[in-house]
Amino acid sequence: MNTTLGLGILITYVCILLIIGAFAAKVTLKTREDYFLAGRGLGSIAVFMALFATNITAFTIIGQAGFAYQAGYGAYGYVIGWSIFITPFTYYLVGYRSWLLGKRYGYATQPQVFGAIFNSRLVKLLFLILLLYYTLPYLVVSIIGGSLAFTTISEGLVPYWLSAVLIIGISLIYTLPAGLRGTVWTDIFQGTVFLVLAIFLLFAVAQALGGFTAITERITQTNPAMLQRSLSPQIAPINWFSFAFINSIAVIVFPQMYTRILAARSSRNLKRVTLYYPLALAVIFGVSTLLGVWGSVAVPGLVGKDSDNIVPLLIQKFLSPTWTVLGLVAILAIVKSSIDSQLLSVAHLVTDDLLPRFKRISSQQAVFWGRIVLVIFAAAAFYIALVRPAAILSIAAFAFSGFAVILPVMIAGLYWPRANKYGAIAALIVPAIMLHLWYLEILPKWTTFGFMPVFPTFVLAILILVVVSYLTPAPPSEQREKTFGLFDQVFNAK
Amino acid sequence: MKFKIRLVLVALIVLIMFLLHNSFWLWGLDDRVPLLFGFMPFAFSYYVGYAILSVLVIKLIIKIAWPDPPADVIELFVDKESVDK
Repeated sequence: MNTTLGLGILITYVCILLIIGAFAAKVTLKTREDYFLAGRGLGSIAVFMALFATNITAFTIIGQAGFAYQAGYGAYGYVIGWSIFITPFTYYLVGYRSWLLGKRYGYATQPQVFGAIFNSRLVKLLFLILLLYYTLPYLVVSIIGGSLAFTTISEGLVPYWLSAVLIIGISLIYTLPAGLRGTVWTDIFQGTVFLVLAIFLLFAVAQALGGFTAITERITQTNPAMLQRSLSPQIAPINWFSFAFINSIAVIVFPQMYTRILAARSSRNLKRVTLYYPLALAVIFGVSTLLGVWGSVAVPGLVGKDSDNIVPLLIQKFLSPTWTVLGLVAILAIVKSSIDSQLLSVAHLVTDDLLPRFKRISSQQAVFWGRIVLVIFAAAAFYIALVRPAAILSIAAFAFSGFAVILPVMIAGLYWPRANKYGAIAALIVPAIMLHLWYLEILPKWTTFGFMPVFPTFVLAILILVVVSYLTPAPPSEQREKTFGLFDQVFNAK
Repeated sequence: MKFKIRLVLVALIVLIMFLLHNSFWLWGLDDRVPLLFGFMPFAFSYYVGYAILSVLVIKLIIKIAWPDPPADVIELFVDKESVDK
């Protein structure tokens, strides 16, 4: 690699982030609302890029390409097909009503929104515990994945531990002083960087392999199974169906995504984001799918996890060294834009929903404590990423499913006035336990009837919520009025 | 039209989109439909079309079931909604 050029591009990229962070810090007030929610004043582009950059992780380029290498073109529909529609739809289904409640009553997190809807401190606490429990391992795994990818693309020049330091350190530099505004403004830059680089990378690889048509003809002749979903052992219809209940519907439950919705300035901003989101998802996953499938004929023979290296290998084998540097920048942008928001949302949850249980905290003190918590979690995440304890990794493996099975309670709270706190509590606790029993293989596999555990757990959550709510007293009318009275004014306005 | 009916329409739309995603009966066309633009097989181009359809469908959902908050509700917001043009 051309070290001088590489360092030059990397330093320029980091400097731009620091300048954006400094500007964001300058306009950020030392209040809870401004630090954690950017004063609920984010416009369409800011919300769009914040959600998109947070949603896209190292998996999008590295993991999806590796999966497409093995499974063929069907990997596209399997992983992202349902998400293309349902993820933005949840911004309407859950996002808009939550945003209305946030604007009306000042709620800033899921524990606050759903604790208030169900008028229950236990529901609030359960949301807090479950969100932290699933977000932390997911955060650590994001750091591990990003650091490994960074080390691979730099051909070992940047060791794993230094990659982790870079990823966490740079994120902290702009997140600490500027809070959500810092992460969102840098997301606009980083999201643009990786989207543009990914598209250019696709064209560069296509050109190096003889053009779009030539490489596809080669696949058709040498490995026609890549075109047919029914021939792919990785894509069985029952898994295809089950997978629709994991990553696509879990996204709105991620605290870092949910908070960004609450931070939107207006309803019109949310509508624009929801409308155009499918295209952004389709493009970025389309690029990684094509790169993975093309790699299966350009660099054949990769087995198992080795296929996750297909994008770095395509860059190294077929493109100029400059692309190695650009690949590093893209990976940094993708990984950091997710990690900074995960760190901030964890700090937000602890500062806004956990600390006030022990100590009264003013708005200004919340910013101070938020920064301390941010540093503590960043240091802890770095340490865990180095040690990589098996327990954390096994929780991360089903974190998406864990988030997904919280969704029925969120939907019921926003749409079903008869849902009560007893139903919500049972539907949060029992599915979480069941997921552990299935994923940790304490229950035999046949008990899921061939589906991934998330599907029966999701159905179970709905059943428990309905049955327990009907068996216990209905919520008091004044409690229902607070939530559904507001919705009535908006949705049934003359 | 009552909002509950609009919500039922939205639910129907979601169901149709879910069926279109789980369209296993179309998998047999994967090697029969010609490549789109010379490089997109059916398993891929189907989801390019699905993405475009998603935008149109979301536009429809916004039209039928996503009203902006009326002025009297905005008045009640803890921080007033900024006018966004």
